[in-house]
Amino acid sequence: MNVLEINEVYKTYHDTEVAVTAVNGVTLSFERGEFAAVVGPSGSGKTTLLNLIGGLDQPTDGEIIVAGHRLSELRPSELIDFRMEHVGFVFQSYNLIPVLTASENIGFIMNLQHWPADKRKKRTDELLHSVGLADRGNSRPSQLSGGQQQRVAVARALATRPEFILADEPTANLDSKSTDTLLDIMEKLNRDEEMTFIFSTHDSRVVRRARRIITLEDGRVVSDERR
Amino acid sequence: MKDYQLAWKNLWRNRRRTMITAASVFFAVFFALVMRSFQLGTYDHMFKNVIESYTGYLQIQDSAFADEPVIDNCFVLSDQQVSALEADKNIDKVIPRIESFALAASGNRTQGVIVMGIDPVLENEVSGIKDRLVKYRFTPEIVKEMSEDSVPDKIKKLLPLFENESYSSVGRLMADLDLKESDTAVILPLIRKKASFPNGYFGETSPGVLIGDKLSVYLHLNVGDTLVMVGQGYHASSAAAKYVVDGIVKLPTPDIDNKIVYLTVNSARLFYDTPGMVTSAVLDIKDNSEEAIAETKTRISSTLSSPLKVLVWQEMNEILVNQMEADSKSGLIMIGILYLVIAFGVFGTVLMMMSERKREFGMLISIGMQKRRLAKVVSIELILMGLLGLITGVIATIPFAFYFNTHPIRFTGQMARMYEDYGFEPVMPFMLPDTYYLWQTLVVLIMLVIAVFFCIRKIYRINVINALRA
Ligand SMILES: Nc1ncnc2c1ncn2[C@@H]1O[C@H](COP(=O)(O)OP(=O)(O)OP(=O)(O)O)[C@@H](O)[C@H]1O
Ligand SMILES: [Mg+2]
Repeated sequence: MNVLEINEVYKTYHDTEVAVTAVNGVTLSFERGEFAAVVGPSGSGKTTLLNLIGGLDQPTDGEIIVAGHRLSELRPSELIDFRMEHVGFVFQSYNLIPVLTASENIGFIMNLQHWPADKRKKRTDELLHSVGLADRGNSRPSQLSGGQQQRVAVARALATRPEFILADEPTANLDSKSTDTLLDIMEKLNRDEEMTFIFSTHDSRVVRRARRIITLEDGRVVSDERR
Repeated sequence: MKDYQLAWKNLWRNRRRTMITAASVFFAVFFALVMRSFQLGTYDHMFKNVIESYTGYLQIQDSAFADEPVIDNCFVLSDQQVSALEADKNIDKVIPRIESFALAASGNRTQGVIVMGIDPVLENEVSGIKDRLVKYRFTPEIVKEMSEDSVPDKIKKLLPLFENESYSSVGRLMADLDLKESDTAVILPLIRKKASFPNGYFGETSPGVLIGDKLSVYLHLNVGDTLVMVGQGYHASSAAAKYVVDGIVKLPTPDIDNKIVYLTVNSARLFYDTPGMVTSAVLDIKDNSEEAIAETKTRISSTLSSPLKVLVWQEMNEILVNQMEADSKSGLIMIGILYLVIAFGVFGTVLMMMSERKREFGMLISIGMQKRRLAKVVSIELILMGLLGLITGVIATIPFAFYFNTHPIRFTGQMARMYEDYGFEPVMPFMLPDTYYLWQTLVVLIMLVIAVFFCIRKIYRINVINALRA
């Protein structure tokens, strides 16, 4: 079953001197449990594509369908609720709320979804354990390393079991050791929770671990390989 | 995690900024309230002084006298009229007065004076004239003598400040000299012994006069001395007479204290040649609230026939009222500027806070926090910060208001002289918390609402993609 379908999607920016078509007719579909990397040179449209998929931005043309929702049909506030329910996000940096602890950050979306406290706590503890931070639940983001912060972000993104997790260059700010740890954790969660991951990257070592590699060039998909 | 909990945590993310912002609101509120409190308190005090010692709340006058207060504009006040007026539910007594001018002289000094012909018994109902008789006076000799005596150092230090000051009550004396109940046993008898002022009051048929304390100092008059007065009587007759000073009174308004001479109504009628007449009838009222005064005025007005009319205290003290209003306006402008400066400071902080957190807001909206909810959290933060400053500011002024209401700031030296030159008593009591507190609170709340509204608007306008890139 497809969790995500992208049909003939275009995104053109007109606010620049010359109109830029950042995404130029992309058609893709993703199944449950994929572990996919979006790669390509800088400016090829990776971030733009991920933003469109996550409902952060609207395509100029084409259709994106997530779990039966046509994103173009949703109003702005419905799009926010849609993201809260169906999409997990991991950004390159500054993912966490600085005044909350790691546990509270992981619980944040469960909180938005009104999970009861006991269920929330159980899930938070389970995830803290999964990302190897069982003893750091009470730490503030400023007390965690960059790699640990990214792990908390991953835990938060999948806490409520969204359709998929979008991660735009999640390892860009990490050293190679932290990158490996984060990928280990993502792979494990992908396996254990059957969580779909779609991430963009520049890093060839990250690419190597993906099971599907989508290559963009000038906003077009030039190759789409599964391994 | 509830929204207010998140807001509370956010509030302390930058502890210093929050404190500075709340503190600036605090100081604005504190200074504005303190300023206003003593401004209004001073006006109130001056009005009370002049009403209770001079004009009363309501008077009946000939309308010509209201325009031109000369003796020719007096009228006949009959007994029937008096009893008709006294039948009104808010009128206790009708008190006759003859008020005019004369030139007073003693030795080689002269002074233009206000002559008040009063009923020695009834007048006490309005201006409490008997209670204003000077009981103690600290002449320079007495101050010197007492400083060498065995009085406590505290009082020795205070005494010179009150040189030449007269007192008509122990209460005021105790307040000035900072005397406690416990001191009274030792010090009061001493003061009584040293500084008691031999004074008297006139009887109904007495030919004597009472004069103001400052006037007595200026004319070097003491009880028992003689005062000469020359003036113009009814229809240009000449008026001249000699009077023995029966007593000396201390009036709170310096500008009246230095030029008042009280006669009995009968003496005044003889002096001005106006038998059976008065220039004004003071209405001694029971309820002196603003509404009651207005109602009484309307009621009485309808029973009077021209040219008589009823005047309220504001009409009789127009100059003072105008002066206070102008002063009040300049005070409000000062407060306005104070608030404006603080408002800009606070807005600067809010603006900085918003732009600093743009990225975080972008992230929160991305992961599914509704803008409405985010706006709520930020609004709670601002409201908490604002209320913290506002409430502590208001609370901090309350003890000041109560303390300085009963222990008014009393000017001395140069400042006091300046006040007296303008005809004001040199004291600044604070006004107790009243509607002006509500007004100022409202002003701060409006500023807070504007800041909150501004932030809400900013949040609703956030473009997620831009915010994430910030
Ligand atoms: N808001 C925008 N306005 C105008 N042009 C934009 C905007 N966002 C992106 N672009 C343009 O769209 C193209 C694709 O940008 P995008 O950020 O998607 O590339 P990317 O593949 O993520 O690059 P990188 O690897 O450097 O992150 C670029 O040419 C970029 O300049
Ligand atoms: Mg990018």
